[in-house]
Amino acid sequence: MDVSRRTVLKAQAAAAAAAVAGIDLPAEAQNLAAGEDIALKWSKAPCRFCGTGCGVMVGVKDGRVVATHGDMQAEVNRGLNCVKGYFLSKIMYGADRLTRPLMRVRDGKFDKSAELQPVSWDQAFDEMARQWKRVLREKGPKAVGMFGSGQWTIFEGYAATKLMRAGFRSNNLDPNARHCMASAAVGFIRTFGMDEPMGCYDDFEHADAFVLWGSNMAEMHPILWTRVIDRRLSAPHVRIATLSTYGHRTTELSDQSLIFQPGTDLAILNFVASYIIQNGAVNRDFVDRHVKFRIANTDIGYGLRPEHVLEQRASHADEAAVSQPSDFDAYARMVSDYNLEKTAELTGVSKERLLTLAKMYADPKTKVMSLWTMGLNQHVRGVWANHLIYNIHLLTGKISEPGNSPFSLTGQPSACGTAREVGTFAHRLPADMQVNNPEHRKHAEEIWKLPPGLLNGEIGYHAVLQDRMLKDGKLNAYWIMCNNNLQTAPNTNNETYPGYRNPANFIVCSDPYPTVTAMAADVVLPTAMWVEKEGAYGNAERRTHMWRQLVNAPGDARSDLWQLMEFSKRFTTDEVWAPDTLTAHPEYKGKSLFDVLWRNGSVDAFGLDEIGADHENVESKRFGFYVQKGLFEEYAAFGRGHGHDLAPFDRYHEVRGLRWPVVDGKETRWRYREGHDPYVEKGAGWQFYGNPDRRAVVMAAPYEPPAEAPDQEYDLWLVTGRVLEHWHSGSMTMRVPELYRAFTGAVMFMHPDDAQKRGLRRGQEVRIVSRRGEIRSRVETRGRNTMPPGRVFVPFFDASQLINKATLDATDPISKQTDFKKCAVKVIGVAMTERGAE
Amino acid sequence: MAAIARAWSWFWLNPWVRTATRPPVTLSLAFLTLGGFVAGVLFWGGFNTVLEHTNTETFCTSCHEMRANVFEELKGTIHYTNRSGIRATCPDCHVPHQWTDKIARKMQASKEVWGHIFGSIDTRDKFLNLRHRLAEHEWARMKANDSLECRNCHSAQSMDVSKQNPRAAAAHEKDLFTGKKTCIDCHKGIAHKLPNMQGVPGWQ
Amino acid sequence: MRRLLLSASAAWLVAGALFAQEAPRLTGPEPFNKETPAPPMQRQVTDDFRRKRNYPDQPPLIPHSIEGYALDLNANKCLACHARKFTEQSQAPMISVTHYQDREGNTLGGVSPRRYSCLACHVPQTGAQPLVPNTFVDMDALVEREPRGR
Repeated sequence: MDVSRRTVLKAQAAAAAAAVAGIDLPAEAQNLAAGEDIALKWSKAPCRFCGTGCGVMVGVKDGRVVATHGDMQAEVNRGLNCVKGYFLSKIMYGADRLTRPLMRVRDGKFDKSAELQPVSWDQAFDEMARQWKRVLREKGPKAVGMFGSGQWTIFEGYAATKLMRAGFRSNNLDPNARHCMASAAVGFIRTFGMDEPMGCYDDFEHADAFVLWGSNMAEMHPILWTRVIDRRLSAPHVRIATLSTYGHRTTELSDQSLIFQPGTDLAILNFVASYIIQNGAVNRDFVDRHVKFRIANTDIGYGLRPEHVLEQRASHADEAAVSQPSDFDAYARMVSDYNLEKTAELTGVSKERLLTLAKMYADPKTKVMSLWTMGLNQHVRGVWANHLIYNIHLLTGKISEPGNSPFSLTGQPSACGTAREVGTFAHRLPADMQVNNPEHRKHAEEIWKLPPGLLNGEIGYHAVLQDRMLKDGKLNAYWIMCNNNLQTAPNTNNETYPGYRNPANFIVCSDPYPTVTAMAADVVLPTAMWVEKEGAYGNAERRTHMWRQLVNAPGDARSDLWQLMEFSKRFTTDEVWAPDTLTAHPEYKGKSLFDVLWRNGSVDAFGLDEIGADHENVESKRFGFYVQKGLFEEYAAFGRGHGHDLAPFDRYHEVRGLRWPVVDGKETRWRYREGHDPYVEKGAGWQFYGNPDRRAVVMAAPYEPPAEAPDQEYDLWLVTGRVLEHWHSGSMTMRVPELYRAFTGAVMFMHPDDAQKRGLRRGQEVRIVSRRGEIRSRVETRGRNTMPPGRVFVPFFDASQLINKATLDATDPISKQTDFKKCAVKVIGVAMTERGAE
Repeated sequence: MAAIARAWSWFWLNPWVRTATRPPVTLSLAFLTLGGFVAGVLFWGGFNTVLEHTNTETFCTSCHEMRANVFEELKGTIHYTNRSGIRATCPDCHVPHQWTDKIARKMQASKEVWGHIFGSIDTRDKFLNLRHRLAEHEWARMKANDSLECRNCHSAQSMDVSKQNPRAAAAHEKDLFTGKKTCIDCHKGIAHKLPNMQGVPGWQ
Repeated sequence: MRRLLLSASAAWLVAGALFAQEAPRLTGPEPFNKETPAPPMQRQVTDDFRRKRNYPDQPPLIPHSIEGYALDLNANKCLACHARKFTEQSQAPMISVTHYQDREGNTLGGVSPRRYSCLACHVPQTGAQPLVPNTFVDMDALVEREPRGR
């Protein structure tokens, strides 16, 4: 949507008239720029950063972005942005932007030990194709892999999943959202049969109580936090309770903060459920009609390498996801273990606060919105934690209605829209389908016009496993797109880095900037960012929103979508498909992958005339058809009619996003609820139609301790996370001067007494050492985070303080999501004498 | 009248009183005088030592109510850690330095002993609920003595405004040096967290 | 004129790519497993000097110290100087009128609660030099490039 903006001034009118007439104006009118000069072209777009999905207006002049502001018309944020959003204009303009492909060459040939040199796209793709074909020929589809992103556009994620699964027949496609939302996604599917929240942001304005579990919304979802605070300060009865392992800006603004022992959130959750049962707060009618009970396998290990002693000892490490049918009474017995005394002692939270929390949930008249992000998801029992929150809301029936909402907050701008909904995970297909389900594969083969039986039914390598397979030399051709995994993966010194530098492996990295990952790769492809391409994101409340290409990428930089489609041209079916398939279906013989994947009648169904004269679209012009529309409409075919309905493509360019399912042009705000969700039958009240029996699952799961707790030697908990001013690994925000200067380098937040015990003062340099690696940082005993004794916090945005060298690659064994919040370190001062010796 | 006469004779006939009012038989005048003097010194010294001991941070924070609440909050502020390492401890701000005011405050402190024994702020939540009243006491005390405890270290006369930020220099010149305001008027919350400031002038 | 300027910036960008190694704090230590010393923590710039905004929509940066300033449910120290009713006494810039408007754009009788978290948008600055230059061009610079009169 374009609006020309003009400042209307008398002087301006006069200047225009005078210029035409050739008359000189008096001096005071001439220092104002006038007319066309100051017109900016404004277009809508979603913000590039977090999962809130604020709408922004982008002002362009002379092919450059010169201003952005919060979109007053966007429902999500109504004109507000956070500080990162307010500096979107600068993120594309870091001076070291990559503009040409780079490859390690010596004497004109690829050599992994050489330095990165500029090459042409053809040279880069030729070598990539050569390597891919070699690896596929020698080891098959299991040896190629791709690490994608929840910051990919929907079109890019969809193209990637097609290329990997239908092209290379490999399921080794996993997004960085595995590190971010996997526990939440798996929790959704195990509880409701379908992914994604059932509520929406409208819940903020209706709730009576907000409970935040492991979520620092004031820094990480600032605009959603403004909606919480708006509600809290406008209605005197509203209360906010925040649960965290340390104090931060959100706990400062909460009525109650519950600071608990790391990992014991599971106990608090079970305690609340127990309280509800024992105080008659169970909504029996709701439970009888809409809920069923199951009990999870316990002692499920920590997702470490199978040889690890913790995995050997765990009795159900191989059956972590298995659960058994159960009933209400068995469940009630299990949670009754978590009484007030035991919970207070285990967690370190006072009895008063536990009771206040439980009462919030138990009171039938209090509408409760539970919000959670990484504290709960990046957790070795993250799936259980998600279950336990749903348990509370299901026991009380506080779900799928305005204000009553277990709301899983998403971290990345399109972890929902791209990674989860499109299914760019090692086990997923679009629309919540699974690769290991023959019916689902058949459906995908039909839509994709592939020979039956082509798709691989074996679940591929997930994020942490990809790093291990790279290190072990089992995964050999690897493409990293739109993430900085060498900085953000766990235990990078021992797993990720050796994997990337393993001589048996060929690593490609697509990024706009020279990140840590790019510097370790063999080929670096310069990538277009944000409004340099037409794109679509899906935010945390199921809102799919789109934007047009507004400016051109610098130099030879091209979008991920362009790269994926262009790369597919270099392969034919004979080279990548099984010979049996081609014998059985000779009509596919000798065809270019480009034709099979994109020129299949669906993706190429829309011509360039549909783009609109005013809009640039590099990808479509390159390939001769409207690629984004074609990909979207083919993708939408998966979900329409199955509860994932998306509106027609063009509609999204007209409005500020729509929340799916969009049925008959109407978006759905509350799913599973009669009157709001068109899929719910009349008279049903609630229907969790993702499950065959339309019931949601209450899963019984206990507290189990974290993988690595502090001990004699490594005596501190290490918690990692973000800060407001920087996004993830800082590749964008550290290049914006105002954001860089707002938080200039990573520091280690520590309690002053812990510092004193170690002879440290604020500002001194320290070594943070774990069993796996170490970094150097500076002590911070003040500032925004208040650490309890025994815990330290280090953000991961700083490429010169790679805290993930110290973290542990333990994951939730069910979701495979890394626990970045709990491992053990020791902190040692760096003496001046040591430094003098350098 | 008769009652007074009876009390009077009871007093003077009491054997302890008769012993005390008789002149000494064995002990010399010098011994008793000097001994009395030394005993007085010891007593006075002992009294003040104990008094000073109650004027230390260690003593104040020996009660967990203080240690866990206000002392923890202090640790994040400039009065605990700063460039020059000059620290303020509890008595620097909360105990008047002048002897008479100090003793008066110490007598008031018996209320705090009562509070400790009967647990008026022995949980975090009880403390948070009472914070406003406790803060009001301190603000009132500092307002009444023109922020004397602040001025024990921070002398307005010794301020080098060239070393202050423009904003701070302007505010001090306008309000402090002119005597219009006292330190505590603007610098509330400098050492501990603020209570609910609704209704406090100058805050919202 | 415009084309010259754009090709000049393109050349600068290419040059920037080849000099990527000059910003090791962004590209990581070389080699990866080397331990790099952590630079000293930077000091805040608190000279009260108001920096020009990159575009009118940008929230102004905080030019003074905010160390220890309360921003919680009990107190908002920022508003104690910057809210309209205190500005005469404090002589601080008034928060923009947008901060008095609700979600619908209606002006309220006081500061809108949705604007309570000042620090979500307004940040202080340290004196650090940017690790890489940023080639963002201010809209005024683009306008001034064009010749006056036609």
